[in-house]
Amino acid sequence: MTQPVTIIMIEDDEGHARLIERNIRRSGVNNEIVSFANGTDAMTHLFGTDGSGLVQKGNALLILLDLNLPDMTGIDILKQIKENKYLKASPVVVLTTTDDSQEIKRCYELGCNVYITKPVNYENFANAIRQLGLFFSVIQVPSAAS
Amino acid sequence: MTAEGHRRRALWQILLFAAGLLVLTVISAGSVYLVNKARDDNKWVVHTIEAQNQINALLLEVRRAESALRGYLLTLGPEFQTDYEKAVAAIIPALDRVTRLTHDNPAQRENLEKLSATIEIRLGQFAREIAAIRQGQPDMATALAREASAEGATTTIGNVAGAMITEEERLFRVRTANADRSQTLAASLTGIGSGLVVLLALISIWLVRRSARARDEAETRLRDAYANLETVVDERTADLREANNEIQRFAYIVSHDLRSPLVNIMGFTSELEELGGDIFRRIGGLTHVPADRPPLASGEIALEGPDKQLSADFSEALGFIKSSIAKMDRLISAILNLTREGRREFQPEKIDTQELIEAIASTLAHQAAEAQAEIHVAALPNIISDRLALEQIFSNLIDNAIKYLKAGVPGEIRIRGRTKLGYAIFEVSDNGRGIDPKDHQRIFDLFRRAGTQDKPGQGIGLAHVRALVRRLGGTMSVSSELNAGSTFTITLPIAWNASNRNADR
Repeated sequence: MTQPVTIIMIEDDEGHARLIERNIRRSGVNNEIVSFANGTDAMTHLFGTDGSGLVQKGNALLILLDLNLPDMTGIDILKQIKENKYLKASPVVVLTTTDDSQEIKRCYELGCNVYITKPVNYENFANAIRQLGLFFSVIQVPSAAS
Repeated sequence: MTAEGHRRRALWQILLFAAGLLVLTVISAGSVYLVNKARDDNKWVVHTIEAQNQINALLLEVRRAESALRGYLLTLGPEFQTDYEKAVAAIIPALDRVTRLTHDNPAQRENLEKLSATIEIRLGQFAREIAAIRQGQPDMATALAREASAEGATTTIGNVAGAMITEEERLFRVRTANADRSQTLAASLTGIGSGLVVLLALISIWLVRRSARARDEAETRLRDAYANLETVVDERTADLREANNEIQRFAYIVSHDLRSPLVNIMGFTSELEELGGDIFRRIGGLTHVPADRPPLASGEIALEGPDKQLSADFSEALGFIKSSIAKMDRLISAILNLTREGRREFQPEKIDTQELIEAIASTLAHQAAEAQAEIHVAALPNIISDRLALEQIFSNLIDNAIKYLKAGVPGEIRIRGRTKLGYAIFEVSDNGRGIDPKDHQRIFDLFRRAGTQDKPGQGIGLAHVRALVRRLGGTMSVSSELNAGSTFTITLPIAWNASNRNADR
């Protein structure tokens, strides 16, 4: 990657977070991964205390988002990211257990870049994450200022 | 209003009616009787007056004869003689009339006898006097008259007649009183009867009005109850719908949320497996290789003795965990799919059922050929329904029929259809292994299967089919015997109306 991209992982399940991180690392991605276990913390980090998103100005972000969070739905977060002028260009990967076609359609409509269903089968899961990692290693991420 | 009260009121009305009828009959009979009696009494009154008149007339004739005779005796004028003769001629008929009118009364009869006897005497005296006058002996006639006057026949006649008149007057009074009484009675009877009838009519009207009011009230209550029932039914239906939706949401959320920990369990089990592999390789390396030499490349190490056993146990345990997780995942997926089906909105459209089923048969042709089965599709009625749901229903049933054939017997699967009373009835029958009647209910339950478990499956198909059939407003049943094939019968409305079910959602 040409510039240091920070991976923001919003995932309430610690186990999932750990498995995802592990498999991303296994694919050779060494970027910084910042994890959040709930929506509120993630929102504060992304948008700052004033909610404007100015804090992330100039940062290159890649957001990994789970839809089922204890305090809010990932869809709300996705919507706000895509409506924010600093963050809307940041790629969002929705990584969740839901494989409901309506939900998938909705996420893409709201501007999600990739939607991945977590398979229970671990080989598939690991494979998916590793491929995602490979994807991360080639993807060009704009900085939030642009 | 109770049935008891109802019966009592009806009885009362019948009694009243009977009483009214009775009163009317009594009044009529009484009136007829009393009117007849009054007429009778009046006749007797008239009779009495007539008798009086006749007695007076008789008396008058006797007096006339007497005075005419006297006049003749004095003047010898022929007009007196004519007068006398006329009077005498009238006496006997007058007496006859009096006799006819009064002979029914014993008291009068006595008087009458006396009267006729006296009149006869008097008539004899008259005759003698007139004879004397005619013979030219007026003196003798005068003497005779004097003698007769002395005998007092005329006075007797007057007295007797007076007595008779008095008697008749008495009778007149009695009979007038009788007639009055009869009339009064008749009038009273009519009055009382009319009063009674009016009273009964009033009671009847009151009863009828009361029963009418009771009926109106009952009607109002019934209407209220009906309206209330509608509301209750609507409320219950809404409740049920809400409960159903709740269950759908619940099942969806639960199955969905169950998946999340499953990913972890599976993930870390796999990690553990890998870790286990690493550990046992290392153990193998440590036991086989002298400490001063580098460890052997992985995969080349063969464990021995207890270490090998440990490794095998470890792998077995992890294998069970993983297969259980996989099974649980399949079950959760099945529930998710079912609830997702339950949430899908049906789109009714006109469906060429035969074409649809032949298309299903052709997609299953490969499996059918493998199982040496033939699928026969007869002429089927077309219906208006949801295409996807119908496809799922029939492909599940035909798939089952192919799957559970009898080993060694060429399969024969028939799909037939007919219509009855607005419903289309489809039958999918096979000559397969059949289902024990005790399992007929069980096969429709989720995750339940019956018979020899030699084919892969989750026990979802028939549960799903039945849920779909129900949502399409139909019913489904099975008839089957072990080893004698099965027939699944599906009854669906010919024209399914989306509003009657989709509106529920």
